[in-house]
Amino acid sequence: MRIATDPMHQFQIGKWFDLNIGGYDLSFTNSAFWMVVGVLLVIGFLALATSKMSTVPNRVQSLAEIWYGFIAGIVKDVNHAPGKPFIPLVFSLFAFIFIANMIGMFPYFFTTTSHIAVTGFMALFTIGLVVVVGFIKKGLGFFKIFVPSGVPFVLLLIVTPIEIISFLSRPISLGMRLFANMLGGHVALKVFAGFIPSLAVALGGIGMLMGGLLVMPLIVGVTALEFLVAFLQAYVFAMLTCVYLNDALGEAH
Amino acid sequence: MATETAEHASGGGFPPFSQLGEFGASQVFWLIVTFAVLYFAVANVFLPKIRKAVEDRDGAIKKDVAEAAALSVKADESVKQFEAQIAAARANARDTASKAKAEADAKTSAATAAKEAELNSRLAAAEARISETRTKAMTNVSAVAEDAAAAIAERLTGAKPSADTVKKAVASAMGA
Repeated sequence: MRIATDPMHQFQIGKWFDLNIGGYDLSFTNSAFWMVVGVLLVIGFLALATSKMSTVPNRVQSLAEIWYGFIAGIVKDVNHAPGKPFIPLVFSLFAFIFIANMIGMFPYFFTTTSHIAVTGFMALFTIGLVVVVGFIKKGLGFFKIFVPSGVPFVLLLIVTPIEIISFLSRPISLGMRLFANMLGGHVALKVFAGFIPSLAVALGGIGMLMGGLLVMPLIVGVTALEFLVAFLQAYVFAMLTCVYLNDALGEAH
Repeated sequence: MATETAEHASGGGFPPFSQLGEFGASQVFWLIVTFAVLYFAVANVFLPKIRKAVEDRDGAIKKDVAEAAALSVKADESVKQFEAQIAAARANARDTASKAKAEADAKTSAATAAKEAELNSRLAAAEARISETRTKAMTNVSAVAEDAAAAIAERLTGAKPSADTVKKAVASAMGA
């Protein structure tokens, strides 16, 4: 009953096995379990899809090719030719987030992307990668992204700090967006679903009727929306990764 | 709801933040491990396979299209050849026909000439017969005229003229 009514309980991490390396508590938790499950699902799907590659694809292979084409299309549109080495990374990011979000749509499954530790680290990793690749490709010229060309010097005094702040806020917004979307959506679902037993307890039969007729369609709608969000957030993360990578790969803007 | 607030307190309130200290390192660690596995599987095994399949298909399609274009050119060529053959055959047929016509014409004219010659000879023969008949008739006519002249002279003169005289007289009268 407590699990059923507390909207925050679904985000609780529980320790399954102890693991301590170098003084850090790296225990295997339900979060770790669902990450493993997600990765295994993706790998399993890809293994199935690529098991019998043929010129005329079967359904699974076709799906994998559409998926690949979708990601490769984003990278090609945003980063053009220099982005090609990053297709596997963007593909993996999208796959990892998408499968985690989809797993989260099942009751009692844990949504790994609803924790800021996970999404925040992904975002930091992405921005860190942008910085590293930027310095490798352009050296100190990478700092030019903070100095837009063709802007008068006086304006640069204002624009450059803004650009620096916007760059620094990227990992925060990138990580926060995914985490908040998943968390908020699941809380909303849980709260709406909680209305039904609350109404039933408070009003009896009429409450059940109201719950069934008014709240249930709402939950169905929000669930559908959450499926959309699950895909959309993975897409947005992959897309923004490409956009940020463009600072390191593309010519200065 | 009192029980819920109590639950919140005991559960740690807002897990993404309240459990960050306790499980943050574990989450990041397992994220790195699982994501690394996924990345290496995707980058080294699956995407190359998928990319290869897609590229193979594009290649196969391009090859097929090129083959089809080549075949179409070939077909056009054989159509041209065929047309040329038809034209040649038509010219040949025309030649044969005109030759046959000339031959036939020659034969016809030869046959016509032969028939004409035959007809002419028959005409000549017929004419010869006619003139012969006419001479015969004429001799008969002079014999009759001599008899008649002898009879007329006997009646007028009472004396019978000699056959020679009558002949001469009749001949001279008919000759004139």
